[in-house]
Amino acid sequence: MKYLDILETRLGRKATREEIEAFTVMWSEHCGYSHTKGYIRQLPKVGTGGNAGVVPLDDYHFLAFKVESHNHPSAIEPFNGAATGVGGIIRDVLAMGARPTAILDSLHMDKVIDGIIEGISDYGNSIGVPTVGGELRISDFYKHNPLVNVMAVGVGKNDHLIPSKATKPGQVIVIFGGATGRDGIHGASFASEDLTGEKATKLSIQVGDPFAEKLLIEAFLEMVEKGLVEGAQDLGAGGVLSATSELVARSGLGAIVHLEKVPLREPDMLPIEILISESQERMAVVTSPEKAEEVLKIAKKHLLFGAVVAEVTNTGRYVAKYHDQIIIDVPAKLLEDSPEEPIHDYTPSPLKKFRWIRFKDVDAHNVFERYDYMVGTDTILPPGFGPAVMRVKNSIGYSLTIHSRADIGAQNPYWGAYITVLEAIRKTLSVGAKPVAITDGINYADPDIEPLGLAGQMKGLKDACEQFSVPVASGNASLYNTYKRKGIPPTLVVGMVGKVENLNIPKPSKGPVYAVGYPDFSIAQEKKLQEEIVRLVKNRHFVLSMHDYSRITTFKTALAKLGLNLRIQIPRTEPVHQLIIVFGEPKTNLPIRKIGFCY
Amino acid sequence: MTLPKAQVVVYPGSNCDRDALWACKYVGFDAEFIDIYSDIDADLLVLPGGFSYGDYLRVGAVAAREPIAQKIKEFVSRGGLVIGICNGFQILVEMGLLDGALLQNSNGKFICKIVDLEVVDNSTPFTSYYLKGERIRLPIAHGFGRYVKTNDVNVALRYVEDVNGSDQLIAGITNANKNVFGLMPHPERAMEKILGSDDGLRVFLSAFNYIKNNGGVRG
Repeated sequence: MKYLDILETRLGRKATREEIEAFTVMWSEHCGYSHTKGYIRQLPKVGTGGNAGVVPLDDYHFLAFKVESHNHPSAIEPFNGAATGVGGIIRDVLAMGARPTAILDSLHMDKVIDGIIEGISDYGNSIGVPTVGGELRISDFYKHNPLVNVMAVGVGKNDHLIPSKATKPGQVIVIFGGATGRDGIHGASFASEDLTGEKATKLSIQVGDPFAEKLLIEAFLEMVEKGLVEGAQDLGAGGVLSATSELVARSGLGAIVHLEKVPLREPDMLPIEILISESQERMAVVTSPEKAEEVLKIAKKHLLFGAVVAEVTNTGRYVAKYHDQIIIDVPAKLLEDSPEEPIHDYTPSPLKKFRWIRFKDVDAHNVFERYDYMVGTDTILPPGFGPAVMRVKNSIGYSLTIHSRADIGAQNPYWGAYITVLEAIRKTLSVGAKPVAITDGINYADPDIEPLGLAGQMKGLKDACEQFSVPVASGNASLYNTYKRKGIPPTLVVGMVGKVENLNIPKPSKGPVYAVGYPDFSIAQEKKLQEEIVRLVKNRHFVLSMHDYSRITTFKTALAKLGLNLRIQIPRTEPVHQLIIVFGEPKTNLPIRKIGFCY
Repeated sequence: MTLPKAQVVVYPGSNCDRDALWACKYVGFDAEFIDIYSDIDADLLVLPGGFSYGDYLRVGAVAAREPIAQKIKEFVSRGGLVIGICNGFQILVEMGLLDGALLQNSNGKFICKIVDLEVVDNSTPFTSYYLKGERIRLPIAHGFGRYVKTNDVNVALRYVEDVNGSDQLIAGITNANKNVFGLMPHPERAMEKILGSDDGLRVFLSAFNYIKNNGGVRG
């Protein structure tokens, strides 16, 4: 009830029932980032911000990318939970004006949960966006709380970059896509509490419709191409309320929303239900009144529903009406301005010796061969070899990797996060890419019980990004990953994009195989190792950078598909090490040892 | 002389349409998209892969009943070349332009990988650049690719090993006139070595040169 008091103090009066519903959504941890925004503010950043992170790729194109979690829904309803996780993050990238080009997923679970794989496969395959990489971490840590983090990437033309806000009064907001139903009501609040909470029912899970998403992608990109989109935001957690209020609050404006105009698939919905439903496959487009008709025409052509639902005002107030009845009328900024929990200082302990907590060695081919990783014909390095490498036709390429070290995070949240960033950099370098930026997926248990773990995780992320000059472009936080108050280890998922100037990247080939580097770790050596990876790749060596070389089955299968076999003695390392595997006869000043051959 | 012209039919839910267009242009076709209400003005018509109408009903069933279906049948009867890839193959079967049926893979799952194939018939306009019996590698990506025979059909491509439970390892077939080609593998994804295989290139080259040598059906 703490937040209710804050709300009523700020309103200067008792809150109405509808206001309580609305603020429950907007000030949920999922939407409001109460526990993390203080930390996020301290991260080194890049780009303009918005629905997804944006970085330049070449003179004409930008990359939009973001990771998002769908942990809570996937625990209750694996298929739809995972599927809508894909759909939601795709729309974030789309909203920037980019065509979605790749999906990666980071899965933590106690066994391969078929429903989750099937959900990602079914949705991603249908919408024609390749799932090009990921990580599969099998451990009992995640028995009750599987983690489904999905990263989406898109490529857009610079003059198509869309702001995530309204820019002037008089603009209108069109909502188009699938029709609105009762699915996912209070999904955001459910995702902000223990899995045994009262909202943990299937009613708060959204249902995916990949066909509608595919139509939505094509319709939206056509609107962008024709210059009709002046601002955009996808409808995810918090539905109409969240999308329309954020669009205006970000620029200090207000809105009048006409809820009776939202196309419904359940005609008897209450106004407040229309406002907060999390039905999927919907977008909010800010446009000028004279362009709205053309926007609606395009939506209709693509078999989608659409309506002008709101006007942008200069009052700063967010007014939602149902015909003449006012449902809520509050300052738009207040909806965005969720209470902020105090952050904690964290002083990292010196680097210590870690224990091995090994994840199970599984052949990820059994998972990723159920995903279409080739559609789009831009996948240069398919899954199984490390980071994915994608190209932009007639331009350069980019590398994508998603990585985490919950085994270290469980022993020390700071070093878990720190090492994750370093290893993601090494992986990026290993395909000849230059690290550009990251998107961070914070997965944590209960910050009210153990606030210092969250502080450590965030500090480790910040320090590594600063010390190794990789800024943060976007991110997501999923807290309260607990079951009966028992939680997951601090699991920071890092998605990294890199720039690949030369698409002719070294591939594994027959010949000797060496272990290069150190079986243990010291920060002083890290720069040297990174430079060495760059040099080796430049000299046409295939470089493999993994944290646990005993989990090599996936890589071996990937080699077998090229007609290659690997016979090596697995190098022994500490859980945190600075060792890479190099194909060929490398010349290096680092310690080097022949471990076998590829034939 | 004008370039051979290809049109790629974009159904709602098609998702390999841009890849198919790229492949057509790559070998020299004058290529463009058309939608389900368009008229056909082409020498080669491509029905691309994807999930037309979400494949929420039977795969390809809704797309096969769109306004363009009649025009495609008329185009085929005039001797026009039609290639249906993956979902396009499923649509051709649903339209009755090719025999048989495509059911769910025998393992019940979507399968995406590069597989080995054998060219069984190199006398079609789509396979003339291959040798008879040649082994090639093409990507597959489908959940409903198990070909079930209802009549004797002209087999153009066979899997070397069983991948999805298809009758007699059938991966691609043509009609009796050999101007309609349906296949589950994706030649348009295997146009460049950098993508893992360029064995699909010759499907498009074969069609391109067939049209160049024999004249198209436009006009």
